[in-house]
Amino acid sequence: MSSDTLKKRKAKVIRSDGGTPETKRGRGEGDQGRFPAGVSNVDQKKLLSVKNKEVRVYNEEVELEGRDPEQDYVLYKSTCDSLAKLMAEIQELKANGAKEGSEEVEEKLRQGCVHFITLKKLNRLAHMRLKKGRDQTHEAKQKVDVLHLQLQNLLYEVMHLQKEIGKCLEFKSQHEEIELVSVDDFLRDAPAEISRPHLTKDDPHQLTLARLDWELEQRKRLAEQYKSSLCSKEKILKGIELKKEYLGSLQPGLHAIMQASLPVQEYLSMPFERVQKQAEVARHLPPPLYVLFVQANAYGQACDKNLSVSISGDVDEAKALSRPPEDSQDDESDSDAEEEQQNTKRRRATVGVQLDDKRKEMLKRHPLSLCIDLKCKDGSVLHLFFYYLMNLNILTVKTKVSASADLSGAVSAGELLNSESLLNCLYASDHGQETPNPANRYQFDKVGIITFADYVSQLGHPYNWVQCLGGLQFSSDRPQAEGACSSLSASHMEATMKLLRGRLQSRLALHKQFGSLEHSIVPVSSECQHLFPAKVVSRLARWTMMSHQDFLELHFVQHVAKAGLVKETDLFFMAIVERGTARLQAAVVLNPRYPEITPLFSLSLLWKGERSGRSDDNLRAMESEVNVFRSELQGPRPGLQLLTNQIQRLCVCLDVYLETESQVCDGSEGPREFPREKMCLRTARGPNRLKPFKYNHPQGFFSHR
Amino acid sequence: MGPVELLHMSVFSQSFSPCGRFLAAGNNYGEIAIFSLSAALSPDATDLSQKPILTFTAHEGPVFTLLSTDTHLLSAGNGEISAWSWVELTKRSTKAVWTRRPNYKSSLEIPEINAMIINPKDNSLIVGGGDNNIHIMDMETGTFKSVLQGHTDYIHCLALKEREGEILSGGEDGAVRIWDSRTRQAVHCIEVFKYEECARPQFGKWISCLATDSDWMLCGGGPSLSLWHLRSMSPTSVFPLAGCQREAVFHQDVIFAVGEGPHVSHCLLGGSVKAQIPCTSPSLNTLALNLSSTEHRVMTAAGSSDKIDVFTNFSYRAFSLSF
Repeated sequence: MSSDTLKKRKAKVIRSDGGTPETKRGRGEGDQGRFPAGVSNVDQKKLLSVKNKEVRVYNEEVELEGRDPEQDYVLYKSTCDSLAKLMAEIQELKANGAKEGSEEVEEKLRQGCVHFITLKKLNRLAHMRLKKGRDQTHEAKQKVDVLHLQLQNLLYEVMHLQKEIGKCLEFKSQHEEIELVSVDDFLRDAPAEISRPHLTKDDPHQLTLARLDWELEQRKRLAEQYKSSLCSKEKILKGIELKKEYLGSLQPGLHAIMQASLPVQEYLSMPFERVQKQAEVARHLPPPLYVLFVQANAYGQACDKNLSVSISGDVDEAKALSRPPEDSQDDESDSDAEEEQQNTKRRRATVGVQLDDKRKEMLKRHPLSLCIDLKCKDGSVLHLFFYYLMNLNILTVKTKVSASADLSGAVSAGELLNSESLLNCLYASDHGQETPNPANRYQFDKVGIITFADYVSQLGHPYNWVQCLGGLQFSSDRPQAEGACSSLSASHMEATMKLLRGRLQSRLALHKQFGSLEHSIVPVSSECQHLFPAKVVSRLARWTMMSHQDFLELHFVQHVAKAGLVKETDLFFMAIVERGTARLQAAVVLNPRYPEITPLFSLSLLWKGERSGRSDDNLRAMESEVNVFRSELQGPRPGLQLLTNQIQRLCVCLDVYLETESQVCDGSEGPREFPREKMCLRTARGPNRLKPFKYNHPQGFFSHR
Repeated sequence: MGPVELLHMSVFSQSFSPCGRFLAAGNNYGEIAIFSLSAALSPDATDLSQKPILTFTAHEGPVFTLLSTDTHLLSAGNGEISAWSWVELTKRSTKAVWTRRPNYKSSLEIPEINAMIINPKDNSLIVGGGDNNIHIMDMETGTFKSVLQGHTDYIHCLALKEREGEILSGGEDGAVRIWDSRTRQAVHCIEVFKYEECARPQFGKWISCLATDSDWMLCGGGPSLSLWHLRSMSPTSVFPLAGCQREAVFHQDVIFAVGEGPHVSHCLLGGSVKAQIPCTSPSLNTLALNLSSTEHRVMTAAGSSDKIDVFTNFSYRAFSLSF
């Protein structure tokens, strides 16, 4: 055992303080093997404390540096071998029966202990070495990390620089966008001080610079040229202005000349200017009104000199209307519907107002309207105002009559020239109350219009003939709002104009007649004198107008009403014819189409009780005498005296009735109330004993039919 | 024909065709309309089958009387009698077979013909009308062979007592005259208005309906409708009908009468009014019974309207034919 191992052993004792597990185990083994427990321990401690005092500067680490691990390993091996040998020897000894605590065994145990100490020392050294290795590794690692970081930084720098380079390479100079003249042109054209051929020949950079210089030079020159051009333009404009002013100053002069020539035009009946103006305005008319305008004009020129057409209304508004393409009706109404839905949700209170607005919009008329004036021979004029309802695609008409004579006076004639009813039933059953366009019904449903009749007084009547004149045709089922068609209008124009004129004439004639009827005078013209005997005793006592309602309440007209001959559009009158105590009531139905349709009389006689056409065959015969034999009574065409002739005949018939009746009635006493004055061949004839109501003109007697 | 003309139309006369399947009706415009009863009475009748199958203007004046012989329809208008073949009419041909005119004296106004009957014994046509005389025409030759004069006013109606060969005529003068057709003399003259039980002075004295049944005679008009026993020449019962009657017929034990008022009166021989069946016209001029054909056994009545009421069962109106 060398001094080294000894030293080692001592140092070890100091450090571990006898508490390490190796020592304990080793001690335990040692206890078992070499030393008796307790005694050896105390001894050892004493020994150690002595040794500590002696070796103060012992440093195991220094010792470590001096040792070779390989040698330590060999030492460890040898120690282990020798330990194993010792153990084996002890065992052998024991096996051989050596006693516990025998010398040999003790010896062996002691040796073993030394070996254990050596092993401990070796172990400690190994640990220290390990620690040292670890520290070294750590240091090295840190160094590597720093280096790695440096590397990273460098790499980053490289990348950045590369990017910068890329950017530089990609940089676009503005001059590249400038279109330069080609190099050849530049070299040829540019002066030497700019092109500097000696410099630019080899250096493209310089060349480019030079070219840019040249470009600048040229542009400056062009800018100057532009400026001078502007100046000259200004000058020319001024010249134009001057010339315009001159032309403008000509206009009033020309106008004055035109104005001055108007009387001449008028005098020569060549209304060039008016026609021109109208044509200008007419271009803005909606198609139906335009068709009507053209056709009416054409008809007026060709056939009817007393017809004149004019356009009234706001032309500018019409222009504005015709310019933008109209968005279709459907879209508008759809969006309306949506709006409506939203609105009903939000504010219910204003729905009514909105509906009102929508109704107004729907019933809007075109700003332009057409006025046709029909002049009659006697100087009265029928003014027809045609309007176009844009959204409903129908035409309406309003009328006005300006009569030549004073029309006041006749109370019962009030309705005759009423613009509301004047044109009713111009054609049969054309009342002009409902819209003729079937599509309108759906439009009305949307905005809650129940019937167009409510708006007729405000908008005018949509008679069917008006649609025809405007070339609008609606079939009953399918809304066929095709473009306004001129041929349709043309085919209706003449007939309608004649009807209109006839209507006005008949109304004016009736108006005049009513005036005298109200004064109980039945006017009979000389042409119709032959229809009646010279002496007519029965007199018209009253002529009054009555309402449809009042008329229907009369008991003696029920059969007429039942036969469907009474319409609401008709005019109703009550004539009372009197002779003596007899009083004949005649309820008259005057169709608006009079005189084409004969007025219908229903009779009731108050004389010795009441009799009516229903109960008395003779009164019925009188009714038919008045109602049926129109051809006799109408007088000269177009039969404007029909009504008065009917009334006069009624008077005559009453005369005959009363005179013959009193003769037949034998039972009456005293003088006859109605002496026989009319000459009759027979007072009764046929199974129902009719009286002779037919007057034979030249002979002057009455006979039967 | 417009609605106004229809409104003022009166139907004066009717006659059934010999076969009983057609009805001819004459109105105040001189038109005759032929209706097909078989169509109107068939179960699948429509509105159209109540319209005439043929309408034609036969005369200028009203057609006051119509009469059917075995083959022809006779119609009388203003002073003339025309014959139309039923066969041709049903083929819608409207050409008169012949037209005859009695010899009238007055020329100022052509007298109307109010009544015609046929005397089958000597096949003669007895015609009465506006000239106060009865003309008798021989149907074989078409000549007017005799004139019975006696009435002082125009003749309303005629009737025949077949067995005795006596002709009865009633006139505006209020007399019913009974003529012997052979002697051409009036045998009797009953002035009905002079009998208090019948007279109605507030109306007048004319006799506008006559009918006979063996010894019985019905007459009425201005005076009340009354049943007379001819052998005793006395009224046996007077019918309390309000208006003036224009036509009365015997049918079995009942008397049907029409006139003023919108109804057909059913009277019993005893003098009571059994029923008054309402009609469409306010007053009635003519009543006809179609007894020749059992399947079309109807009564028709017409008057002051364009409607002809048809009674399939005599006690109510089934429907109306119309011009």
